[in-house]
Formats: sequence, C-alpha cells, structure tokens
Amino acid sequence: MSIETNSQETSLEYAKRATRETAKRLARFFSIRLVLQIITIIIGVYITILVANMGGYVDTILKASILEEVNLEVSAMVTEKDIPREMREQMVRDLVAERETLAGLDQPFIQRSFRHLWNGLTLNFGRARFMVSDHGSRMVRNIILERLPATLLLMGTSQLLLFFVTLSIALAVSRHYGSLWDKLIVALSPTSSIPPWFYGIFLILVFAAWLKILPFSGMVDAPPPPTKWLYFLNVLKHLILPAGSLFVSSFFISTYSWRTFFLIYSSEDYVDMAKAKGLSDRAIERRYILRPTLPSIITSFALLMVGIWTGATLTETIFNWPGLGTTIYTAISKYDTAVIVGTTIIQAYLLGITVFFLDFLYAIVDPRVKLGGGK
Amino acid sequence: MAKEKKITRKEDAILEAKRKAELMSMMSETTHKVGDVKHELLLSIKDLKLHFETVRGPVQAVDGVNFDLVTNKAVVVVGESGCGKSSLAKAILRLLPRNVAHYSGEVWLRDIETMGLSEEEYREDIRWVKISMVPQAAMNSLNPVLRVGDQVAEPMLVHYGMPKEEAMEQAAIMFRNVGVPVDFLTRYPFELSGGMRQRVAIAMALVTGPDLVILDEPTSALDVLTQANIFNLLKRIKANLETSFILITHDISTSSELADIVAVMYAGKIIEVSESHRFFSEPRHPYARALMASVPRLREREEPHFIEGKPPSLINPPTGCRFKDRCPNRFEKCEEEPPTVVFGDDWVACWLYEGQGE
Repeated sequence: MSIETNSQETSLEYAKRATRETAKRLARFFSIRLVLQIITIIIGVYITILVANMGGYVDTILKASILEEVNLEVSAMVTEKDIPREMREQMVRDLVAERETLAGLDQPFIQRSFRHLWNGLTLNFGRARFMVSDHGSRMVRNIILERLPATLLLMGTSQLLLFFVTLSIALAVSRHYGSLWDKLIVALSPTSSIPPWFYGIFLILVFAAWLKILPFSGMVDAPPPPTKWLYFLNVLKHLILPAGSLFVSSFFISTYSWRTFFLIYSSEDYVDMAKAKGLSDRAIERRYILRPTLPSIITSFALLMVGIWTGATLTETIFNWPGLGTTIYTAISKYDTAVIVGTTIIQAYLLGITVFFLDFLYAIVDPRVKLGGGK
Repeated sequence: MAKEKKITRKEDAILEAKRKAELMSMMSETTHKVGDVKHELLLSIKDLKLHFETVRGPVQAVDGVNFDLVTNKAVVVVGESGCGKSSLAKAILRLLPRNVAHYSGEVWLRDIETMGLSEEEYREDIRWVKISMVPQAAMNSLNPVLRVGDQVAEPMLVHYGMPKEEAMEQAAIMFRNVGVPVDFLTRYPFELSGGMRQRVAIAMALVTGPDLVILDEPTSALDVLTQANIFNLLKRIKANLETSFILITHDISTSSELADIVAVMYAGKIIEVSESHRFFSEPRHPYARALMASVPRLREREEPHFIEGKPPSLINPPTGCRFKDRCPNRFEKCEEEPPTVVFGDDWVACWLYEGQGE
C-alpha cells in the first residue's frame, strides 16, 4: 500500500514539475518566435516596398509624368505672348517643385523607403495614387476593406469546400488502396497542372456562352435584385463558376496528396495494432490516423486560411470579381505602389500571426511538443 | 460514435478477464504453477496459405502450414529471416497487408473456424478477445498521441463495454502485474523507455484475458538485460494462466527459456514440430540440425556452423522438399513432396524418416 501512495505523490509532483517546466520553456520559445516573426515581417515588407517602387525607378516615372502634366497645364493657362519665356519656365519649375514636394519626391528614395516601411507596419497605408474605391475614397485602407468581403466569399467558399471534400474523399480512397476510384484519382491528378483561370475560361464558355444557365462575370446582376433573399441567391449564382473553377483546378492534386499522406500514416505499426485490437474502422480512423496526423492537417488548414485573404488574382480578373485579386492586378498595372504595399503588409501580418498561433495549437494537439527536449 | 456506445456490457467476459488479472497478481516471483492446468486443443491450423502479390509474381510467404496448439503451452516458431514467420502471425491474426494474392486454409480456435467468419464477426469475437499480440517494436506500436493507460484500457471498452473508470482500474492492475509503475498510466509512449513500452504492450495483450497471445519477436529491439527481464515475466505469466503463446523469433537461445514446443519454419512451410527438450538436444530435420549447429554455445571449442547456399526464392519455390538444394542428406526421393512423419506429439516432414514414425 505504501508503495501506492508513494507513486501517487510522485505522479502529482511529476505533473506539477512537468507543467512548470513546460510553461517556462513555452514562454521562452514563444518570445523568441515572436521576435523572429517580427523581423521576418519587416524584411518581407521592405523587400515588397523596394520591388513595388522598382528600386526607385517609379520615382523617375512619376517625376516625368508630373513634368508633363505641369507643362500641359501651363501651356493651357498662358499664351507665349503674355509672358516672357524665362518667367514661364520659372513657373513650370515652381509648380513641378511644389508637386514633387507634395508627393514627397524631393527626398531621396532610400530615406522615403524607410518612412514607407514605418507607415506600412503601423497600418498607415496612405492614399492611392490612381485607384479609387467604389465609394470614391482614395484611402488605401478603404479600397482594401471594400474589396475584402468579395474575396473572402469567393476564396472561403471554394477553399473550405476543397479542403473538407478532398480530405474526406482522400480518407475514403486510402481505405481502398488500388481500387478503381483510387486509380482514377491518381490518373487525374495531372489535370491540376492547368491553372484555375483556364478552367474559368472553359467553364464560362460551356455554362455561360453555350448553355446560358450561369452569368458570365461579376458578383451580382446590373440592377441588383430588390430583396435580400433574391440578392443572396443572385450572388450565389454568380459565385458558382469562379468558385467551381478554383475547386476543380485543385481537386485532384489535393485529393491525391491527402490520399498519399493517409496511406503513409495508415501503414504505421500502431494502426495495425489498433486493427488487431479489434477496433472498428471508424475508431481506427479517428484515433489512430486522424489524431496523430492532426498537427499536419491543422498546418495545412491554417495556411489555407491565409491564402483565403489573398484572393486569386487571375481567376478574379477573368470573372471580373470585385475582390482583392482584381485590385492587386489593377494596382500592379498602374504602378499604384501604395495599394500593392498595403495588401502585401496585410498578407504578411496574417501569415505571421497564423504561424505564431500554429505553434500554440501544436502544443495543445500533440503531447510530444509539450515535453519534448526537457531536462 | 453512437455506434460504439451501443456495445453491451459483457459480464462473463469481464469476470473472466478480472479472474485472470487476479491470478496474475497472485503469482509468486518464482515460476511454480498455482494450480494444475488442463491441456486441451486450442488452436488448429490446417493448410494455411498466404501469398503476396509482387511485380515479379506471387510470393508464397506462408504455403500450407499445419499445426496444433493446446492450452497453456508456448510454441516457438523459429526460422531464418524471410522464411515467413511474421507472415504466419499475420495470417493467424488476419492482419493482411494490401497486396494479398491468396489467403486460404482453416484456422480453428477451439470449435470456431475463424476463416469462415466475416470481417465484422472476426473483429468482435476473435480480435483481442481470443487472440491478442505483442508486436516486435513496441516503440512504433503504441499510438504516440494517446496516453498508454487509455491504450491498454481501450480493448475493455471496445469489446466488453466496460465504463472508462473501471477499465482504467483494470489497466492499473495489469500495469502492476507486468511491473510498470501505476502512475505511468497517464504518460505518453515517448515518455517511457523501450523496456517499459514492451511491458505496456504485454499488459495490453493480456488485459482482456485472451486464450492465445502471439508474440512477434517481442524482445529483438531490446538489450540483453531487458530481454531477460521480459522473458522472466512471460514465463511467470505462462506458468499462472491458461494462456497459450506463439512466440515468433530468430533468437533460438533466448526463446528456449519459454518454449514448450518448437516449430521450425523454412521457405513458407513448417517442417518440424517437436517437444522443446528433445528438440534442443536432438533436432530431427536436417535443416533444424543445421540451424541448431549454427547457434553459438558457451564454453565449447566448436565454432558455430552456417548453412551453405541461400533459402529458395518464395516466388518460385522448388518442387518436392524445399530444403533439398542445401541438404547434406539429399537423395532421389527429395524431388517429391516429403511425407509428414509423426512421432507421438511431434512430427517432421522429411523423407529420411519415412516409415519410422509411430
């Protein structure tokens, strides 16, 4: 009996010590992770600023366009007779200098790039140069916020559907390795090398141009339906083709890779053991295949969630879907650096936060993470 | 989830499992029997075949195995690597890999022919209730993300519908019986040493009080001291329970500790079954003799022998006796399928003994 009480005490002490140790190590681990994460984000954002400004070349373009603009304005304002040539040139010079100062072009690019960096990191995106939100605002933040819901709707629907559908199909297929369905998935997986926008064009041709049952593009009909319910149905109808093309383009490769993943994990010894123990297939799947692989599944899901915020640039453009993807496409073609940098920073932050919280999730889901590497 | 909840509590089976656990905990440190144990026919295997599909053709890993086992006996299946020992265990347990080409024969467990059962019947009535197993590497055989106590208690929940707390108590008793501290119940497999994990695997195999435990090289991944420990534990268990063991190993010297009967396997077939005392001093089959001669002995000048040549391919095994190409006693008859010559409880499949049986 005495042995038992002893072992009980040690058990309690062990648990306490383990918790203390774990907390200490976790705190250290996460503070290091946080610092590294922030440094990574800063570097990433700065590179984006450099690239979006073409290393300062955008300044030259802007200066040239300001000069041209001012020249045109001045020649429209005055005639050659009224004002002497020198005065006119002085006028142009003054105006150009004024506008360049206004645009901040009087300072060297490197200096300004760091100011951009600070503004960007504090989510102070400033104003767009050319782009305007549908409500007429030039604030980058308003432009992004206005486009975000459309992207979330499209990407959320297609990606979540893709994730859960492929995961469950892969699990079912991995159970019947070598069956007809399994072979079909393997055989069709190369079709995913075709990008979603190509499927988009194809689907538009079939369902919009030929069968005429679904709309070509956009998010809602030109005069929007009067009631909320009809509006919802209308958006849904517009959603089918873009979401469908995103879904179809990744369906087979995603199923294929999950299937391979489950095949590898279902040949673990402990799965055989669970079968020998007489557990039902469902119990084996839940406790011996899904449970040990949960960290990997969560990682994949979290990265997918980050991807949802980016939007699909080309697919959105093809379908004229008013989302972030289309916005980025327009911004890039117009050198609207503020918009490019703004969307990238939001991306970077989301990715950083996701990766950071993934570590927490791992510690909850996988017991090995808690105590691994302890004294 | 709802489907699993429906399992009805099986009172008789629970009582039996508890009685066996009680027997185990009463057992003394020595290996004397608590009471007399009856020997009755437990397992009878008839012409068991298990072939695997490969690119080069079907591999006849288990090809017509016959043998019987009575209760409370330990049979050791010995043989070289690749002779089909582990496949035999898989065939008995119906743990088939994905590439099975052919699977047939009869496996009688008392009066049940298990090959005739459906997958679901087999799962419910045989797996872990009648036959359990201790795997080769307990390291990989325990689910890394479940507490070992839960894993040991799991069969009681699944098969007997025992409530969680009661099953954990039973698991605690089994832990004590195999010499694992009870507070390890809440640990994860990675927090245990290799020896402890193997003990947990043994506790898991015995928790339901099965009739037959198949041990597939249970100690080959462990050091010599831990091996000795585990074998002493197994001996004690065998001496106190009616349980039978099939021990699959290539380690003849260690297995002699536990063996009542030795079955020699060669190229997918069992070629000799002998009572262990006789076997270790005087094996009958030429292959068994060569195998015993290859075991190094203490304090003897004699060097261990090896068998020349290599085992035949199991894709296209030779006709007649499969050992004939390496056999020193080969003669014309060996081209034909060797007869089974019976000596009391023992038998050997070799032409040398034709007409000598009892």
